[in-house]
Amino acid sequence: MKEMIYQTVCPGCNMGCGLYIRENDEGTVAIDFMKSSPANLGKLCRFGMQLPHHYSKATSMVDGVESSIDDAIQAASTKLKGAKDVAMLSVGATTSEEHLAFTKVADALGTVVNTGMGTYAELPPECHATVGHGIPLEDVEQASKIALFIDPYTQYPLIVRRLLAAKRSGASIIAVGPKEIKLADETKHIGPDQYESELGLDSESLIIADVHPHSDPEHVKHLLNLALMTGARIMFMKPFVDSTGVHLLSRGTGQKGLQEIMDGINEGSIKTLVTLDSDPIELMPNGVEDILKKLDNLVVISSRNSPVTRLAQIVIGTEPLYAKAGSFMNVEGQMLKNSGSSSIGIDALSTLAQNLGGKAFDCQGLHTQVLENVVKEYTGPKYKKLSCEMMETAPEEGKGNLINVYNPFMWFDQPDDNDFVMVNMNTVKSLGLRKGGMIALTSNGGTLKIRYAVAEVPDGLMLTNKKLPITTGTCTVVTAEGC
Amino acid sequence: MVAVGDMLVGYATDGGVRKRGASGGLVTAVLAAALEKGLVENVVVMKHINEFEAVPIITDDVEVVLASTGSLHSVPVNLAKYAVGRKVAMPAKPCDAQAVIEQAKRGMIDLDNTYVVGLNCGGSMHPVTTKKMLVEMYDIDPEDVIGEEIEKGKLIFKTKDGNEKGIAIDELEEAGFGRRDSCRYCTIKIPVNADLACGNWGVIGDLAGSATFCQVMNDKGVRLLENAIEAGRIEVQPASEKAIAIREKVNTAMVNLGNTLEGKILTEIPDEARIQYYLDQMANCIDCGACKEVCPVCACGEDSKCTMFHSLVDDYSMSMYHLVRLLHLSDSCIACGQCSDVCPSDIPITILQSRFAIPAQRKREYTPGMNVDETPPFFEVILK
Amino acid sequence: MVEKEWEPKIVAFCCNWCSYGGADTAGMGRFQQPASTRVIRVMCSGRIDPLHVFNAFLEGADAVLVTGCHIGDCHYVNGNEKTEVRYKFLEDMLQQLGLEPERLHLNWISASEGERFAHFIRDVTAKVKELGPSPLKPAGVS
Repeated sequence: MKEMIYQTVCPGCNMGCGLYIRENDEGTVAIDFMKSSPANLGKLCRFGMQLPHHYSKATSMVDGVESSIDDAIQAASTKLKGAKDVAMLSVGATTSEEHLAFTKVADALGTVVNTGMGTYAELPPECHATVGHGIPLEDVEQASKIALFIDPYTQYPLIVRRLLAAKRSGASIIAVGPKEIKLADETKHIGPDQYESELGLDSESLIIADVHPHSDPEHVKHLLNLALMTGARIMFMKPFVDSTGVHLLSRGTGQKGLQEIMDGINEGSIKTLVTLDSDPIELMPNGVEDILKKLDNLVVISSRNSPVTRLAQIVIGTEPLYAKAGSFMNVEGQMLKNSGSSSIGIDALSTLAQNLGGKAFDCQGLHTQVLENVVKEYTGPKYKKLSCEMMETAPEEGKGNLINVYNPFMWFDQPDDNDFVMVNMNTVKSLGLRKGGMIALTSNGGTLKIRYAVAEVPDGLMLTNKKLPITTGTCTVVTAEGC
Repeated sequence: MVAVGDMLVGYATDGGVRKRGASGGLVTAVLAAALEKGLVENVVVMKHINEFEAVPIITDDVEVVLASTGSLHSVPVNLAKYAVGRKVAMPAKPCDAQAVIEQAKRGMIDLDNTYVVGLNCGGSMHPVTTKKMLVEMYDIDPEDVIGEEIEKGKLIFKTKDGNEKGIAIDELEEAGFGRRDSCRYCTIKIPVNADLACGNWGVIGDLAGSATFCQVMNDKGVRLLENAIEAGRIEVQPASEKAIAIREKVNTAMVNLGNTLEGKILTEIPDEARIQYYLDQMANCIDCGACKEVCPVCACGEDSKCTMFHSLVDDYSMSMYHLVRLLHLSDSCIACGQCSDVCPSDIPITILQSRFAIPAQRKREYTPGMNVDETPPFFEVILK
Repeated sequence: MVEKEWEPKIVAFCCNWCSYGGADTAGMGRFQQPASTRVIRVMCSGRIDPLHVFNAFLEGADAVLVTGCHIGDCHYVNGNEKTEVRYKFLEDMLQQLGLEPERLHLNWISASEGERFAHFIRDVTAKVKELGPSPLKPAGVS
């Protein structure tokens, strides 16, 4: 009985939580705690604890038939040679080195790799450094006032203990968002026009928000203005293990957002899609399978089986994330290395690049380049006040807004015990819902009966931590009924 | 040869193992011999990564055992679960040995085929806190540390440049550093529940620092030692009366300290403040389930009542998961501290468990993990 | 509008063979007892896991009663002895948790002890009414 033990980083979000993965010779995977890991002290959130359910062996396929990885690479090379209207997608769910390798394939194809973060494209370049840069988690514990624009418990759980430590040192915490946050001294339901006046921030304060493929760029602009006007530091949490790393690697390239790519495929301006550990079916709200079927070519390079691997014409299956030789950059800007030494993914990309007319490369060379890309110092905001639009707030009369609360389980559409919506007591009473019973929600996407939990949210708002079949976007208009 | 009850002092015959091992390398040599001569198929050892990190591995390679790390005070891990379903020999702090026996009571470990080499323990520390302590209290760069030991109540660190610096553990703990909370109020310092009880207390004179005191607790202990002697891996001699007395004295001092600190850590809560205290303590739980995964006494697996009766959708004021665990562990919690270590919300779960477990166990005069024939009080009524 | 006086919610676990019969006898005997008790019938008090008691409190019970056959009379020989072992843990635990001891009771009641059952319910209801709603009640449950 042999066991391989890997030191790796949890792929749930960009916190960079270190852990051990123990793999036995039957391929069964278990987690173990790496207590000296600085970002998380070995601690893991619910997603991290359930990682054995997340990883899976990726199978190389050509036209729906299992094949060897070499055959899949050859088939992909043939398909991509001279392919027109190509889009490439890597959200940052793999190592920096593999993402960099992917960009070299993009170079050979005459295109760029999109990270799917549409927000960056909507912001003036002077802002990118502020959005992409994070602060040491220990600094969170030292802030005297914190404005929270995320739900820490659900979205980035390992930051909860940092906030609790800040509180113990006397920090005051104000949450701004749809749900009452337990550890906050106060939760405010205010619009961006009230941020400056209501929050009372100054240069000792810290703003914690997040940016992800479905963020509203207007809201990000409001937050950037808030930081600028008050002098507060700002940190944007991010959803993928290497979000910060791929942001650095894609500096200066014209980027498309996820929605833009899907629209492009839908209207026919994108005919070929190549993805690296990025599954649009998991990442987008519902309905993209039909859009993906419109592609002439769908080539998927992935370290795990996921819905898109069943749809793709070609799947190049690489080693599991924890076994890869490579590094990640977490939200603090810390480079974290895997202890693994496998380079199946990188070698596949190198072969692909060569077949398409590019040069070969290896992990060591890529790592050197990744190191060169690291930003040494952040010297503060370099942008001027941004003009931004007002955002719509209240739902229509008689309808509710069902809001996705993005979290690791949602990004990977991972099954969990979290299939319920959160509504407030007024809604429960006005709809006559039964205790322990269900609520019926209807949107443009259909009707769904689902369990509900009572939470402190404003009237007319419903929250979900799980991607539901009836959601059409971050905010879905629904009518609700008792059942 | 060797008999149950013997108090011996011994060391590894291999000079390298003797020097590298914590005080004489006896434990390493005994484990290696157990593997070598087929007493067991595998050995659980700690694989050294750096001074503050090691990971438990299960190996069938004698060389790996011989190269394994000595005592690392900053690696707080419980090894019991790594022995489940296997035939191993393993090193064990008193809490590791307690957990092994509790798992045996629940049918998860076959004690006849599990050899437990006990190690004295004064307490372990959390690696990240220790690194911070080195910078703030010792003015030492953690990268420069090459070894550490606890001697006469002082925590001493050795650095690359050949220097040493020691600070009294009391002083460190007053400043919020030092040992983990559960270690501070632990009162089982000598692993009398293991097959052998080894440590460096009572190793005096010329042998100080290069030999291990070893008390033979039972027949398996006899087998372990005789096996190692036959393999030519160790040499032992009887311990002097003086050595035995010194060991007892150190133990008594440590146990008394543990008893004193219990009152300081498990502070009195006024009756009217209790519910709010528990509501506040458990308020930030994020339902990760790590405390159950890591608990070395838990043996229920996935079909456990604590998880079956708990759901994320619950609107309860307190978590059913925690209430069930507090109840179901009140007869068996050994206060090893693993749950507090892994809680992502920094909930001091061990302290909460102890508030229920210590009174429940004392009321029934029951200490978990000491004797596999003692039935946990919850199972007291069995139809014969 | 006249505000209704608060009625406590009391959950009584009754074993099929003895205490449930006792509850029945109390009803048939027309003994006066408040209507605030919800009876949950189990085959034996030994079926009751303390976690059922927790669940009852967390769902909004103001008091929980664990009842069964007298020791020695258990239909399943020693089921109630197991209840006793568990109850002792439960009692200590609720005291440690800070819940008022009057909210939890253990009582052995036989099928013929109708008046005793009614008296017990009257007694507990009065005490709990005085104590007020349980501190563990979830929002939305009166």
